[in-house]
Amino acid sequence: MDPEDLLHLLDDQQARRLRVIENLLRGRKTVSTLYWGQRYDLLFLLGLAKHLDRGGLDATAQALVSQKLATWTPNEQPQLRLTAKGRQRRDQVPTYQPQTRALWPQLSLAVARQRLLLSVQVVSQYAHRTARYYPLTTDLATRQAVRQWFHQAKSPDLATRIFTALTASLTQLPEKTAQVLTAGFSGYQQPGLTNQQLAVDLHQTPWEIYLRHVDGVVRIAQDARQADHPLHALLAPAWQTAVTRSAQATLRAVTTTALTLDQVATQRQIKPSTVREHLLEAAIMLPVTALPYERLLPQATRQTLLAALPAQLDDWEYTALPADLQARFDFFTFRLLAIWCDKGGAGHAGTPND
Amino acid sequence: MLEPLTTSLQTVFGYSEFRAGQKAALTALEAGHDTLAVLPTGAGKTLIYQLYGYRHPGCVLIVSPLLALMTDQVNRMRLAGFRRVAAITSLTSYGERQSILAHLEQYQFLFLSPEMLAQPAMLARLGQLTLSLLVIDEAHCIVQWGPDFRPEYLLLGAIREKLGSPLTLMLTATADHATKGEIAKQLRTTPTVVTESLDRPNIFLDVEPVANDAAKRERLLALVTQLVFPGVIYFSSKQLATDMAQWLRDQTGLAVAAYHAGLSSEDRFKIQQQFMQGDLAVICATSAFGMGIDKNDVRYVIHYHLPADLGSYAQEMGRAGRDGQPSLAVLLYTPGDERLPLTLNQANRPDDATIQRFYAHPQAFSRNDPGIALLTFYLQHGISATAVQALFERREKERGHALAQMLAYVREPCCLRARWLAAFDETAPAHHEACCAPGKVPIDLTDLGLKRQAPTPPTPVAPDWQAQLRRLLVAD
Repeated sequence: MDPEDLLHLLDDQQARRLRVIENLLRGRKTVSTLYWGQRYDLLFLLGLAKHLDRGGLDATAQALVSQKLATWTPNEQPQLRLTAKGRQRRDQVPTYQPQTRALWPQLSLAVARQRLLLSVQVVSQYAHRTARYYPLTTDLATRQAVRQWFHQAKSPDLATRIFTALTASLTQLPEKTAQVLTAGFSGYQQPGLTNQQLAVDLHQTPWEIYLRHVDGVVRIAQDARQADHPLHALLAPAWQTAVTRSAQATLRAVTTTALTLDQVATQRQIKPSTVREHLLEAAIMLPVTALPYERLLPQATRQTLLAALPAQLDDWEYTALPADLQARFDFFTFRLLAIWCDKGGAGHAGTPND
Repeated sequence: MLEPLTTSLQTVFGYSEFRAGQKAALTALEAGHDTLAVLPTGAGKTLIYQLYGYRHPGCVLIVSPLLALMTDQVNRMRLAGFRRVAAITSLTSYGERQSILAHLEQYQFLFLSPEMLAQPAMLARLGQLTLSLLVIDEAHCIVQWGPDFRPEYLLLGAIREKLGSPLTLMLTATADHATKGEIAKQLRTTPTVVTESLDRPNIFLDVEPVANDAAKRERLLALVTQLVFPGVIYFSSKQLATDMAQWLRDQTGLAVAAYHAGLSSEDRFKIQQQFMQGDLAVICATSAFGMGIDKNDVRYVIHYHLPADLGSYAQEMGRAGRDGQPSLAVLLYTPGDERLPLTLNQANRPDDATIQRFYAHPQAFSRNDPGIALLTFYLQHGISATAVQALFERREKERGHALAQMLAYVREPCCLRARWLAAFDETAPAHHEACCAPGKVPIDLTDLGLKRQAPTPPTPVAPDWQAQLRRLLVAD
């Protein structure tokens, strides 16, 4: 990631923890990372750079600071805030805004990408009647899935149907994004360009090219949710709910029974704290209707806490609450209330930009 | 009675004749002799075990040191028509590994990294197989890499015995007399040695001393601007390969790409295929590039750094001119270039004090340090501190000697070819004009027939993506 890419993930009103951005990219789904990812509106970054090292953004951040585009704010954890100059630069050079980003946490990107790229290669070679070629290097699961799909889907008009379907998907995207996706495909007499090469040719950063590429893959995978799409059998299984299976089971136990959270923990044989983490994860990643907020946050609780908390969500601090309130309400309740407010509960203004 | 070798060759590959060395190696194997084949790059070493595997029941087990390239090898085997092929390395996912292990009997060719082979569970599983042949690929790594990087290669002798001492083929492109002896000793065998001349008469050898880094860059640019392509330039680091690829692209307008182990497998695939297809004029590479690139018409190989020894140099520059046409190998040398291999030589080894402290308190050290990981390995295998010290000392001396030979090549005033081949106990043909240009002799690219006529611009991104998508998916 270049400094100008990081610039677009920062704000002048809201100081942001670099570690949160790093952990999002690395796909670390702790409640704290997810909560702040939600507050920064950066959840789409989840798992986009799984190979990023810990501290892998430090040098990039430091470059912004030395160019006086951002400053560190002293805090428990280092936070970055854009300077006026930084904000000006950010607004002058707009970055790519992926159309499908709200869907990204719900798609297993690695699965969808590998399957799409390999199937396009296989179909391209098949359409041109090439039997011997180097297949893209993918994992065994992808190879098996594509092989199985291809045996069932093979027909004289398969390539044409895929061409039509891909064209329909790509037409909905900006021209340049369609170019990026198409030029990155490997197939008959086309090795495919790398993101680095595309970045040079299109005068964009490799990160922007990558965002375009992901946008294209997600658009195609979204269209392939239709049962009559030629890639449906291959790509539909790549969709998942945005929360882990274990958290889904906890949520189910909470919503379908009258058990207390501690009773749910006993029933599910997990720690009481894990039940609470699962619920927070679900609260962040799912729509506001998915959780029984009325039960978890009774009105009296909300009123008491809201009366004691600052208006701006980002200024909330559990440890700053009066001791008697800390004794009455645990951190879970405090955090859940924040998520509820962030999602517009009680008409609360979510982000400081609103 | 088996069919004649040439009949198998015709059936499997459609060739009527073997290349030099292939038949001798196969004949020795067919007679049941362990075989060490020292054949130059491009001689078709893979064919030897492919054909042997075709002719005999059981599994051919290939031990290969290069993790990232093993998948390429599997793909190439499939491309050649061998379907029952698999590779297990530390990069193989757990699920994939389980799946391969569950069907192990079905594979005709199995590629393993030395680390995997050294695991007792894996070894036990392999013990249940009928091995028709054990292949040690890049066998010189036993000597070259063993003590510093891949201690597992040192276990190969013991592992081979545990597997019941199967018939063994050792392959390498480069081995002097001492290395051959060491390979045989480590693997506890007395192999039939098949050797072909390493010389590549169609490659013109050139050493060019330059005053400093700036002059080196300028000379590189001049060469890349004038030479016919495709060409490969080797660098000492990923960063340098990446930066120089960009710089050369900006300066020359040519299609230049970087290739190194830091790229994703998808990007490596794309760059390789672009190069094979002729889309790229120049590749800026680290030593990760090469093994497994079957491109015949590479016209030049330039080294921007000093290789650590003549063996690796010969292997890398040998990727030029496999089609037998005139080609060029240039080594750019700045005084002091030997400091890098020298430093690497020393940096890789823990010093004597560390060894002593480690053996006294092994728990007090972090395994994340590669030097400590190496010492842990030796400790676990019952090698004493004194023996480890001796091992490191000997190794450092050997590497020092290898580097001295490399420098002697760079400073050779008369005939580079003679100097190179002498290091491998070979006598070069008499020096002539189309042989080489040592440091003080200028080269004339026109005379060599390697000067480029008209420049060619790179292929840009197609602006009309719909037409591109149609070409990809819809046959005319």
